[in-house]
Amino acid sequence: MPYFGSEETVKELKRALSNPHVQADRLRYKNYITKVIRYMTQGLDVSALFMDMVKASATVDIVQKKLVYLYMCTYASDKPDLALLAINTLRKDCADPNPMVRGLALRNMCNFRMPGMPEYIEQPIVAGLRDKASYVRRVAVLGCAKMHSLQPNTDIDGSIVNELYALLRDPDPVVVVNCLRALEEILKDEGGVVINKPIAHHLLNRMKDLDSWAQSEVLTFLLRYRPRSDDELFDILSLLDAFLQSAHAHVAVATLRLFLHLASAHPAVQADALLRTSAPLLATCGAASRELRFAGLCHVQQVMRSQPGLFATHYKRFFCGYSEPSYIKFRKMEILVELVNDENVALVLEELRSYCTDVSPELAQAAIAAIGRIARTYSEKCLDILTGLLALKQDHITSAVTQTFRDLVWFCPQSTAAVCQTVEACVDNPQDSEGKQALLWLLGEHGEQISSAPYVMEGYIDGLKTELSSAVKMELLSASVKMFLCRPAETQDMLGRLLHYCIEEESDMCVRDRALLYYRLLQRGVEETRKVVTGPKSDPSMSVLTGRQEEPISLWASTFNTLGPLSGWDLCLQTAVISASEPSGSAENELLPGSTDVALSSPNDTQEEISLSLGPPLSHETFEKMWLDLEILHRQTLGFPRPKTASDTLQAALQLVKIQTLAFTPGDAVPWKAYLYTRGTGTLILAELLQEVPEAPDSEGSLVVSVKQHPKNQQTIRGFVLILKSVLQTLNVDPL
Amino acid sequence: MIHSLFLINNGGDLFLEKHWKSVISRSVCDYFFEAREKAVEPDNVPPVIRTPHHYLINIYREKIFFVSVIQTEVPPLFVIEFLHRVAETFQDYFGECSETTIKDNVVIVYELLEEMLDNGFPLATESNILKELIRPPTILRSVVNTITGSSNVGETLPTGQLSTIPWRRAGVKYTNNEAYFDVVEEIDAILDKSGTTVFAEIQGVIDACVKLSGMPDLTLSFMNPRLLDDVSFHPCVRYKRWESERVISFIPPDGNFQLMSYHISAQNLVAIPVYVKQNISFFETGSSGRLDITVGPKQTMGKTVECLLVTVHMPKVVLSANLNATQGTYNYDPVTKILVWDIGKLNPQKLPNLKGSLSLQSGAPKPEENPSLNIDLKIQQLAISGLKVNRLDMYGEKYKPFKGVKYVTKAGKFQVRT
Repeated sequence: MPYFGSEETVKELKRALSNPHVQADRLRYKNYITKVIRYMTQGLDVSALFMDMVKASATVDIVQKKLVYLYMCTYASDKPDLALLAINTLRKDCADPNPMVRGLALRNMCNFRMPGMPEYIEQPIVAGLRDKASYVRRVAVLGCAKMHSLQPNTDIDGSIVNELYALLRDPDPVVVVNCLRALEEILKDEGGVVINKPIAHHLLNRMKDLDSWAQSEVLTFLLRYRPRSDDELFDILSLLDAFLQSAHAHVAVATLRLFLHLASAHPAVQADALLRTSAPLLATCGAASRELRFAGLCHVQQVMRSQPGLFATHYKRFFCGYSEPSYIKFRKMEILVELVNDENVALVLEELRSYCTDVSPELAQAAIAAIGRIARTYSEKCLDILTGLLALKQDHITSAVTQTFRDLVWFCPQSTAAVCQTVEACVDNPQDSEGKQALLWLLGEHGEQISSAPYVMEGYIDGLKTELSSAVKMELLSASVKMFLCRPAETQDMLGRLLHYCIEEESDMCVRDRALLYYRLLQRGVEETRKVVTGPKSDPSMSVLTGRQEEPISLWASTFNTLGPLSGWDLCLQTAVISASEPSGSAENELLPGSTDVALSSPNDTQEEISLSLGPPLSHETFEKMWLDLEILHRQTLGFPRPKTASDTLQAALQLVKIQTLAFTPGDAVPWKAYLYTRGTGTLILAELLQEVPEAPDSEGSLVVSVKQHPKNQQTIRGFVLILKSVLQTLNVDPL
Repeated sequence: MIHSLFLINNGGDLFLEKHWKSVISRSVCDYFFEAREKAVEPDNVPPVIRTPHHYLINIYREKIFFVSVIQTEVPPLFVIEFLHRVAETFQDYFGECSETTIKDNVVIVYELLEEMLDNGFPLATESNILKELIRPPTILRSVVNTITGSSNVGETLPTGQLSTIPWRRAGVKYTNNEAYFDVVEEIDAILDKSGTTVFAEIQGVIDACVKLSGMPDLTLSFMNPRLLDDVSFHPCVRYKRWESERVISFIPPDGNFQLMSYHISAQNLVAIPVYVKQNISFFETGSSGRLDITVGPKQTMGKTVECLLVTVHMPKVVLSANLNATQGTYNYDPVTKILVWDIGKLNPQKLPNLKGSLSLQSGAPKPEENPSLNIDLKIQQLAISGLKVNRLDMYGEKYKPFKGVKYVTKAGKFQVRT
């Protein structure tokens, strides 16, 4: 933030700080330092005062020390040579008799972000680890992690790691947890801190001493531990039992996640845990803080994927309050749709109906769509409500209702007659392009049941010149042709006009091409056209008619209590995982003919050496188990970043060379990971692709592939890596 | 874990930043501003925003956005609760958590943030312990500090960090030993047009103020513990004893703390203390409307309803209100379109009534949506659920403490639809 006259201010401060009179007066001196900090927090560059501030650090006043340290931490990386001057003072403070000063100095010394720091801080940190004050030990333990992050490429210091593991037995609970945190960061490349049986049980026994933040983190660390026997498992679960009802939602949810993970082989235990956590979860949904409420709702949504009935009796908890933010209302509506059953349907619909007149058009439209979803099961009641809404004559409502009708007719054809009647009676037409498209589709598809259809359509054709959206024009073309096939006499003339306009005057290529296509098709004869246009459709009732299936808990347990579901990419992950685990991936190949060509051309030569095959699909659990059991046989840096293509393109391309994708991090998440498997010459190959966080912000990281195999066969691995490499390279060169 | 924290005010000015690991440029907040723009109302900014390299988790409190930057996967509830804890600590220290107080106390804010997180991990968040590390500012102390030049930092380390019970420091001494408990219940309810309850639940908390010497061991029992179906406790409470005997047994922290919170959602147990008769209608012609609201007592268990306040969010087209209140005062803000009627004490003999006409923007169509009423109220000496403390016993210390229990019922999100 450039400040007017900022240079003047800095000069003035400099003059004041170096004035011996000011320095003699402790209070005035401190006030000036406070002023510097205030300017710094406002974004003013006061780094020119560095020398004066370093001088100010030699004081007995702790607050002044804190302020100067704060200043130094901010600017140390800009002025490394000057910062070195300050280090002596800090090292002296590390030996101060007051533990608070020792801790403070050590912490700030570790926060200096500049090269060359480690050699100065190593000795004080090691001394700090053995300090008698727990306050200093806490700081020193985290200091180890900071020291490591200052020199990321050097080898890990084994003695420090051992010391940290030993400090896991420290009497101070915060030191214990800080050790875990530090080890996790230091050993990141090796998979983080190792939780073996003694450590796991030690941590479990200390759980009740920890504060809630530490409990939540320890529970997350314990996810890594696998009990050897069922007896041990149940011992652990009974130790954790009380935490399911913790006062802190984050602890309760973390405990639930651990329960679900540990008891993955005992569905009854999982169900019981879910039942017991439903009360705290519901309480979170009613918390005073709206952010907590939102997070609670997201978690409830996940639980409902497996146990839709769990919250059915509490449906009233998900009614929206007037003043709630829209992101909560959207979630609540989604949940309400899932909770509908024979008993509460009337009340839920009544509630949703009142949301349809909300001030915010987005909310109103979402409420209407929600009613549409319920209509798939309870069509009669919902149709009444939707018809009633049309009478309000509000543009956004009319449009949303029309779109809902379109989807409804598609998903449950039995409601067609009723919908057509309503559309016929409706005088107002939607004004936005989405709504227009929906109406045109309905007219085209069911023109024979709506007597006024040709006249409505004629209105659109007459107004074509002022229509801006090409999607509406395309829909109009399709609808007119369909209408022509069922009611030729009334439509022929206007279809002619429409085609003439679209071919001769339209500037949008897509519309023109579509018009030409229909024109040529009609030239071949009406019967021919009918065969093409009204050919058999796909079966809409395939997935939706029966409502959502209860999913196994394992499908979502891994993302439970993570950021994914809250930021909205849970769903795409879910679909990615599902399509990856389905053996019939061939449909995707057909959808992406472009990518298959590219992928095929290069790996041909390598494929002669080794033949891969898909074989029976692996389940996630089996994969995970094998991945954990086997050792890495081969690791290689590929030397280029991951392909920037869409994830399904990548999947399709890999499938073509018979490599199955099991799961991958969606989108641009960092680090990016993908798990693959394939079979070749009698062995099963498992592989992980990993792209780490890049070192420099602009540069791309490189992909690292790790391969595991059962049984071993080095030649197959080499072949596999070659194929994988060429596929990825091809995708990189020619992003589709 | 928590990489950086930015505080942003309602107007979009970033007025404070703190980094625990490497410094992250302020430009990361552009993603937040983008979301803020899209949300129109500050209330509607989604709590979790995903950017290419980070997650931004934010909470909105007292017109301030607390935006945290996250680089690795973390449990979202953890971060959200932590941010609220930060805001509560500010409130605790400065009396209120506003932009002005934060700016005025920027030095203490930095000290607090430094102690609460190290390297991005929560360190000391218990208010007891923090207050020993960093003394809260008081008017008296700031005067004394200016004169003597002494600081508001504790000279010694908090002892609580070393005792076997992390929430209580050793060697507490008081001349007057006292323990007070406040049972506070909030009614969240939605009533429909005809007055029937659409949804109602009670959210209760028991706040404690315990000033007892030594290491007292307390046991609190209720007359009717079965009422509580969904409870959560302060970590000091022995959960096993609650499960087996339905009594609350604990060694209390020193000072103020929240002992427990509970929910009562069984509808037949939730009494609705007031009823509202209302009629708000808009005429088809003439750009005007009529408003008539009467409030009366319903199930008050013989107690008086106080601090009664009715808030109505009017449709956008309502320009002004010309009303007549039999009791209290009303105020209509034509900018925010909020009508506030401050009634005060509810007199069952003479029910308060607000009546009169509304004038609408001329030519505008009759508004579609009906405004809903929010009710605020307070009832002293009553826990609306009927919860009653039976007795409080103390073990482990010899002296006789002074004990007290206070009940109060308030309206939470209490809404009447029209």
